[in-house]
Amino acid sequence: MSVMTSTPTVREVSVPKTWDTRMWQFMRWSGALLIPLAWGHILIKDVVIGVHDIDLEYVRREWATWYSFWRIYDAALLAFAFAHGMNGLRHIANDFIHNENAKRVVSWAILIAWFVISAIGATAIIGGVR
Amino acid sequence: MATLINTLWQGLWYKGGVGNWSYQFHRLAGLGTLLFLAIHIVDTAFVFFAPELYKHALEIYRHPLFMLGEIALVAGVLYHGMNGLKIIIFDFWPHLWNHRNEGRANILIYVATFLAWLPAAFIMGSNLYKYSILPLLGGK
Repeated sequence: MSVMTSTPTVREVSVPKTWDTRMWQFMRWSGALLIPLAWGHILIKDVVIGVHDIDLEYVRREWATWYSFWRIYDAALLAFAFAHGMNGLRHIANDFIHNENAKRVVSWAILIAWFVISAIGATAIIGGVR
Repeated sequence: MATLINTLWQGLWYKGGVGNWSYQFHRLAGLGTLLFLAIHIVDTAFVFFAPELYKHALEIYRHPLFMLGEIALVAGVLYHGMNGLKIIIFDFWPHLWNHRNEGRANILIYVATFLAWLPAAFIMGSNLYKYSILPLLGGK
């Protein structure tokens, strides 16, 4: 097959800085950042500690120690993971929706859902355990 | 209807083979993680908005079926991260991207995901046994 034998050619092309170009870049940078963030989170919470040893008191203590390091960690996770996921959802939706109006409606719905849920999470991180 | 099926089908299968499977697993793992994440953000927010409901959310998390889901979730997050790293590497260093490397990377990612998941699944499985199965058997 020609695909396998041809020498790869790398072309330099100028890509216009549209919204989707920036989102493409965001998916790469946030993805790279999420490898330590998300893997660290599940390693600590799901594997090392486990859901049976997590309760209100655990969250209260964790968020209070180390100059709020874990609170900042959780805030970063909230900001990057959820935005990465919701933009991924938009990509998948756009692959299946071919009507421009429907695409716009779905994209806006995803943006609003991202904002509302992110705001709920951010409020709790800032407000802390009550 | 035929158009809808066609659209759905073409969104899933573009070429076939291991690369096409990786593309589908990447999306499936991403969507699954997102679904859990959306729920997880809201239930964790209970610590501020409704602390007594947080206890209830934890009870759901401790349900054996949810713990099985947790083991699957870890596999998904590991796979999505490794496959995502492959996408980043090939996108930023396109001279590395050829048919052979792509195929080898995909196989490597399946093996590495399985190897990384195995000890995590064992530990989480032990917890599932200790908290959910052992009490049913009359143990402590």
